[in-house]
Amino acid sequence: MKNILLVAAREFRQIAGMRSFWLTLIIIPLSMVIGGLAPQLIDKDEAARVMVIDRTGGSEAAAIAQRIELDRDRDMLGELSRYVQRHHLEDAGRGALWSQHDRWYSDADVAQFTASGGVNAAKAKIARVKAKDTPEFKASKPDYQIVPVPASLQGVPEAGLDAALKPVLKPEGKDAKPVDYVILVPASFGQSPLVRLWANRQPSPLFVSKVQDVLTRDLRARFLSAQGVPDAAARSATTIAPAIAISTPPPGGGAREAMLVRSILPLAAAYLLMISLMLSGSWMLQGTVEERSNKLLETVLACVSPEELMYGKLLGTAGVGLFMIAVWIGCGVFAAYATHGAIADLIRPALDPLSSPGTIIAMLYFFVVGYVSIAILFLAIGAMSDSMRDAQGYLMPVLLLIILPISILMQAVLGGNSGGVLMEVLTWVPIWTPFGVLARLGLGIPTWEVIGTGIVLGVYTVVLVALMGRLFRASLLAQGQRPNLKQMVSRIRTVEG
Amino acid sequence: MTLERVTKRFDRTLAVDDLSFSVAPATVFGFLGGNGAGKTTSLRMVLDIIRPTSGRIEVLGRAPGRANAPEIGFLPEERGLYRQMTALDTIAYFGRLKGMTASDAKREGSALLDRFGLAANSKMTVDKLSKGMAQKVQLATALVNRPRLLILDEPFSGLDPVNQGLLEEEIRHMSAAGSTVVFSTHVMQHAERLCDRLLLLARGRKKFEGTLDEARAELPARIAVVSRRSPSEIQGVENAEDRGEAGDGWRRWNVRLAPGIAPGDVLQRCTAEQFPLRQFEQLHSSLHDVFVHIVGSAEASK
Repeated sequence: MKNILLVAAREFRQIAGMRSFWLTLIIIPLSMVIGGLAPQLIDKDEAARVMVIDRTGGSEAAAIAQRIELDRDRDMLGELSRYVQRHHLEDAGRGALWSQHDRWYSDADVAQFTASGGVNAAKAKIARVKAKDTPEFKASKPDYQIVPVPASLQGVPEAGLDAALKPVLKPEGKDAKPVDYVILVPASFGQSPLVRLWANRQPSPLFVSKVQDVLTRDLRARFLSAQGVPDAAARSATTIAPAIAISTPPPGGGAREAMLVRSILPLAAAYLLMISLMLSGSWMLQGTVEERSNKLLETVLACVSPEELMYGKLLGTAGVGLFMIAVWIGCGVFAAYATHGAIADLIRPALDPLSSPGTIIAMLYFFVVGYVSIAILFLAIGAMSDSMRDAQGYLMPVLLLIILPISILMQAVLGGNSGGVLMEVLTWVPIWTPFGVLARLGLGIPTWEVIGTGIVLGVYTVVLVALMGRLFRASLLAQGQRPNLKQMVSRIRTVEG
Repeated sequence: MTLERVTKRFDRTLAVDDLSFSVAPATVFGFLGGNGAGKTTSLRMVLDIIRPTSGRIEVLGRAPGRANAPEIGFLPEERGLYRQMTALDTIAYFGRLKGMTASDAKREGSALLDRFGLAANSKMTVDKLSKGMAQKVQLATALVNRPRLLILDEPFSGLDPVNQGLLEEEIRHMSAAGSTVVFSTHVMQHAERLCDRLLLLARGRKKFEGTLDEARAELPARIAVVSRRSPSEIQGVENAEDRGEAGDGWRRWNVRLAPGIAPGDVLQRCTAEQFPLRQFEQLHSSLHDVFVHIVGSAEASK
């Protein structure tokens, strides 16, 4: 056992001494940070400036501005609710809209929220109960800002607006702020449904639908009035909407979103297994090839048995893989802490699978045994190859065999498909079992299937380690060209002593 | 170290054939033979790197195995080092694999590097060492545990002259300290200078085992004489080769004696028969000559 640990420690130190190891270790969390920041960097930080030229008298412009304000208040109410939920501040306003979570806020709700003082009133109530280290609520910036119509545009006829709006949409001055959207509601609106929109870039569908909704209501009200319906009734008719009570199913209860959230951890485990295996496995392969090409093996084998060498290498590589995963998880924990729990809140539902000891045991078992069952293949390839070029010849088919079906499997799980013949086949073929079971754990996989595939994987790994151990031993000092399949079988069948 | 009727077969190739010999403690034992004679295979069996097809091996009173590693030092023919490890770490690593504690291995490693003139390079990684320095580090990995049995497989191959001298010195040093040294070689000069006993192998079979003098006795004695007539007429002379004029009517002759005839016998007969001699010199056969005589010139040239 001492020799195994010595070999493992040397293997670990050798890999940890490689620049590529540290680069890889840093690149993955770094890419996640960049991935997280990218949308914020790409998104325009300022509110889109909106100008409404209303030639019907001003009622349409007022309706659009009111709608933008209402939606802004709705967004703030939602953000406030999430803030209260994250910091457990419901006591600040039992019964208040912002202490009710996971619900859709209707226009009436938003109006009630605004009437009761809006964000400022809520913040005052929250301030009375919140702990000192709880951060202040900060509402996100508004999406839209209504800008007044300059006097120079007031009298411009519709036909002349294309030219007149050019300097408004794309002003030449360095500090001049462009207007993002200009809406013209002509005086004939009502008799004619035509409304014009100028935008200085591809208009946002959300914005267009917002404007369309406001104006559609007005058109319908006008139509109903024209049909003899009293004005008040016509206005009310346009706001009639069903009150939809939204119920969120418990996690794993069938909704795709909930299932996907629950699948994040097992899927991440499957991905981490694959990434750490591919990286640490290839480093181990490189080390073994180096030992062969540097004529080191005979010296080592005079001190340790081939089995000790093999298990030491496996242990060292597994240590590297687990160290990488521990660092990545540590980065995640640090990020969760550094963001005051915002990330933790996001992934909390994903940690649901960890509430079951059975799931934890299953994840650990399939992770570790899966690691060994594939790492041993890398090791045998290393023992048969005199150079990395030789090793690539064996490695490519093995990698393709492992990765291609796994990609299909992952896509299927992301698509919410946990059953099906292909999924079953991939789960029961031992080389793919660890990935299959890990990926499906979040979506739900029958207990008998977990136990069955676990037994098959265990038996397969024991047999594989025994056979690859023979191949490893027989190949260590073998000379000549890389062996073909027949020679490999012959080496496996050779029993020394 | 004892091998009894050891045979090793690889598929259809017979690498070692019914080999038996013993190495007494504190001797320097030479294992001689051409390429493919079975030297490396025999040594690998002694180290339990491979197992014999049949026969029995005993090393330090035990069967071959890693349990012997703490008392054995081994330098293989094809040597390498971990390129990214420092010289001292490399020696200490092999010391630890041979059962030493980390502190002992480091201390002994430092002492060896100091003795080999590499103290200043102990923290350098192997890939930054010169070839000669790396060879010294390789030797140090074999010596770090102060082995009772030092096994060297073609130790002089690839060494520069300085390191050849260093290795010869270390072999003598180990022997003087009571260790047993077994080394294989096909360079006979090293064996002649160092070995107490020799074993000659050809095609996996033992051809000779004994001391250097016993080996030389395998060849007919030879003398060089300067005489006026051919010495072939003297009784006991098997063959006399004329090597040319020596001046004033004298000629040089290389003379091979019949088996069992000593040079002194021939000198006595020359005197008795008043055979005029101007020069009489006994020629010593080299180990190479013995090797060629025993295993044949074709085998010896491999």
